[in-house]
Amino acid sequence: MPSNEEIRERIIKVTAALLKIETTGINDGDDFAKDLGAESLQSVELVAGFEEEFDIEMDEEEALSVSTVGSAVEYIANVVAEQHG
Amino acid sequence: MKLVIYEDSTFENFYPLSLIRPIFDLKCGANSLADKIRRNFSDLEVAYFIRNHLADTFLQRNEGASVNDVSALNEDLLIANGRWLCLKSEVSAEGPDEIGTSGDAVVYIRASSETVARCQGESFCELLGNLCEALPKKEVGEELISYCWNLVHHNADALVADFESLGKSGVHGELHPLSCVYGDESQVYVAPGAVIHPTVVLDSMGGPIIIEEDVIVFPHTRIEGPCFIGRDSQIVGGKIREGCSIGPVCRVGGEVEESIIHGYSNKYHDGFLGHAYVGEWVNLGALTTNSDLKNDYSTVEVKLNGQTIDTNDTKVGSFIGDHTKTSIGTLFNTGTIVGMMTNILGGNEILPKNVPSFCLFANGKAFKGFGLKNLLGTAETAMGRRKVELTEADRVLLTHACELTREERMEAVKKARREIRHG
Repeated sequence: MPSNEEIRERIIKVTAALLKIETTGINDGDDFAKDLGAESLQSVELVAGFEEEFDIEMDEEEALSVSTVGSAVEYIANVVAEQHG
Repeated sequence: MKLVIYEDSTFENFYPLSLIRPIFDLKCGANSLADKIRRNFSDLEVAYFIRNHLADTFLQRNEGASVNDVSALNEDLLIANGRWLCLKSEVSAEGPDEIGTSGDAVVYIRASSETVARCQGESFCELLGNLCEALPKKEVGEELISYCWNLVHHNADALVADFESLGKSGVHGELHPLSCVYGDESQVYVAPGAVIHPTVVLDSMGGPIIIEEDVIVFPHTRIEGPCFIGRDSQIVGGKIREGCSIGPVCRVGGEVEESIIHGYSNKYHDGFLGHAYVGEWVNLGALTTNSDLKNDYSTVEVKLNGQTIDTNDTKVGSFIGDHTKTSIGTLFNTGTIVGMMTNILGGNEILPKNVPSFCLFANGKAFKGFGLKNLLGTAETAMGRRKVELTEADRVLLTHACELTREERMEAVKKARREIRHG
């Protein structure tokens, strides 16, 4: 089971690649849309990217309601534990 | 005697358009397959047999109908396959017990009450099976529709037959003096309440034109027969070429040729739609265009339910499920099946020939999108704009259709995710 730190690193990596920004500019408190500039389609792509990265299935509405990097770490950690624990 | 109209086991061949309606509610000409069958046997009371999950919404639209009730089958029966394209048929309700076939398929079964009683089973399927074993078969020259492109292929002929059956002609609505009928005016019916604006040509040289009540045809429109424009539709300029059935309650512009737009759908702007069948509550964004002819003029193949089918036809367009929305500049390839309730961001590249249902399709990839609740919300809004309610039965049916299409969608979604990861 990956640690939260590992999950954070992987979320940041996927986010940076999809939004074409530097990993160093991404922090826990950053809102995907307001701070990192994710538009609605990119939000959907991020969900897909995280699902592929962690081999999980997320409920679309729940996943899209997760707004910050930090809350994404918590949410994905829970999903990983449920589906791979 | 009672008329029974049933769906046979080929309903998947009409996906996605048969996901939320019985096969016989699909249109060809000015009305549905069921309408034509009922018209041919107009004196008979009708019972219907359809997939169970369609029953509630079917009853919404057909209040008081007999649906999936085997106990109602206790008299002489004429059982009609809902795929029967019944244009001016010679088949009579009266006659000996027999099965009329088209190849291996049943077109109709005529059975006396005694035969029905002898062959009854626990279900309608069992009754059909027993009748097929008990009764003599004869090949009849009747047409059974096998796929959606057959509906498009036969649409012009069906329009001619439906105009004849309508028994009405002439212009009874408003035809502006600066518009005209080009051709035989007896081949045109404009219903009371329809309004034809200036600079419209109703060209009946190639076939009849039916324009129903409360239709508005705006300036700079040419409508070429045979053609049907259903009630409360608006044609907002453009070329409505031969062989089109549009509406009711559609908003259509640009160029449309040999296509069926089932109802409550919009193609307001420029863009070409040809040899296509568009479901209900579809919105085709500006410059959405489909190809209906390959560059090498060869026959078109369609990918349906995991199989590749040669249509044996060179002119085949797109088949677009209910509630699907396309963005500006969406391009569909020849013979494309587009699922229902899918949100397509076209991106000016030609889309794959199979787009799953209930997804967000963008940058050439399928995503799960914003979720079913979001899609139902959009449906409720779209329907509300035309003062139609999205009922609880509709929600249940759409949710069921979403579940039915999950496997195909998830296959496309997972492929897209892999492409994102490795891309």
